[in-house]
Amino acid sequence: MAQRERIVGGIGADEEYWNGLERGVFQLPRCTGCKKWMWPAHFRCGACGTWDLAWEEVKPEGVVYSWTRTWYPFDRTRERSEDVPYVVVLAEIPHAGGARVMGVLSGPEDKLKIGAAVRGRILAPSPKSKGYPSITWELA
Amino acid sequence: MNVFRGATAIVGIGQTPYYKRGTSPDPELKLALRAIVAACADAGIAPQDVDGFVSYGSERNDGQKLMWGLGTKELKFGALVWTHGGGIPGALGLAASAIIAGHAEIVVVYRAMAEGSNERLRVAVAQNDTAAQYLVNGMDGPAQICAMRSQRMIEYDGVPRSCLRDMAKAAYFHAKRNPNAYGRTVDLDDQTYEASRYISEPYRLFDCSRENDASAAVILVSAERAKDLAKKPAYVLSAPIGAPHGWGAAEENMIDYTSGGFKSVAKRLWAQSGYGPKDVDVAQIYENMTGMGVAAIIDHGFCTPETAGDFIRYENLIVPGGTFPVNTSGGNLADGFIHGMGLVNEAVRQIRGESPNQVADAQLSLVTGGPGDMVVSTALLGSAATL
Repeated sequence: MAQRERIVGGIGADEEYWNGLERGVFQLPRCTGCKKWMWPAHFRCGACGTWDLAWEEVKPEGVVYSWTRTWYPFDRTRERSEDVPYVVVLAEIPHAGGARVMGVLSGPEDKLKIGAAVRGRILAPSPKSKGYPSITWELA
Repeated sequence: MNVFRGATAIVGIGQTPYYKRGTSPDPELKLALRAIVAACADAGIAPQDVDGFVSYGSERNDGQKLMWGLGTKELKFGALVWTHGGGIPGALGLAASAIIAGHAEIVVVYRAMAEGSNERLRVAVAQNDTAAQYLVNGMDGPAQICAMRSQRMIEYDGVPRSCLRDMAKAAYFHAKRNPNAYGRTVDLDDQTYEASRYISEPYRLFDCSRENDASAAVILVSAERAKDLAKKPAYVLSAPIGAPHGWGAAEENMIDYTSGGFKSVAKRLWAQSGYGPKDVDVAQIYENMTGMGVAAIIDHGFCTPETAGDFIRYENLIVPGGTFPVNTSGGNLADGFIHGMGLVNEAVRQIRGESPNQVADAQLSLVTGGPGDMVVSTALLGSAATL
């Protein structure tokens, strides 16, 4: 695992998501009991009570669930100041229980709209993504 | 009859001036003291008799830090309500619950912010609860997160963009007649709004609140005690806090994505108060961003995505003339932003008849907490006639 300063703000059960991206694998967690996709990743399946989740490789394809184009260089993401305006897409992954995964949009934006198909590409850790690997969405 | 409804009342309100963020002449703790002492004076209560302290979000001026400055005789209750601005009306609810349970008799609900003292925006807003999923992907915080939700509310649910604009226009219109409003000098018409720069689409500059250094406080006591005090009580009819299944810390995976999160608490609000959307005379709708205020209005059942374009219309939102007057002091956008606490004071002023944009014969006054927060709350205040 590469050295990155761990961002501690969330639920904190998604470490394996980032580790997967680092290995070049897009994977999402699934309950080993009821097979429900568990996203955001958590420590216990709230549906069936199982404590074990399995990370399954998922084809990084989905549709735009929503998006925003940011024009202001916000403080806590100032590493991307030079990129404004940039678009962040919330992509819905139908074959992973409708899990929604955020990623910055790369490439042409002219077909950007809710429902548009997107394909993900894994980016290596960089200062822009705070030392984390990331997925970037492209309109298919 | 439930034990909560009308058992307590807000009897004092206090506030400091709004300062431009980072320019408060006083540190945050002193701002808190000023607002609390002003609320006590308004209520006719000695500051040393306040025995309960309730706030929300990232408030750091705890009761234990305030008590020496207030001369507190005994601190009997103190708590912070989840999570960010979502917790404001819930803080009223917790204060009322403490009084009803007998833990404390005179409880202050307050919020103080001075960027110079604690770098709220950088540190305290975040509270270290922004997940990696956001920060890694260029999402700093509320403005962008709410923008993404409002974008779907507009593009997919079909709520017209004009609702956002008209929420902003109504706020600035009301602020013009409020001598204390920070944004009172701004003339916001359609052209100015449409020409303003984007912050994060669909939000333009005027869709976003801007932080002030300031403090506001309200004093709650039992309904029985309230009768003997100077000011007309604003009774707390209901102030539920909560989140429905599929909400909470969902990192954009909430089931009811374009909601403000209020549907479960609104249902309980109407059930506990015995009133419904049609009964409300005036509403203070927390708008961190206009679009989220629109979602809050829909969640409470005032309109639907289909009727929002007609209902959330400038002429319908203002005093006089509107059937649904909102943010009558100017709200977070144009009055000033103390993490939404100013809305509570204005909700009380409406019951008293002291608002700068007074709604004639206002009896039922709604105040909603920060929309889209991981836990939200809402409160209905009423005059004696509504009990």
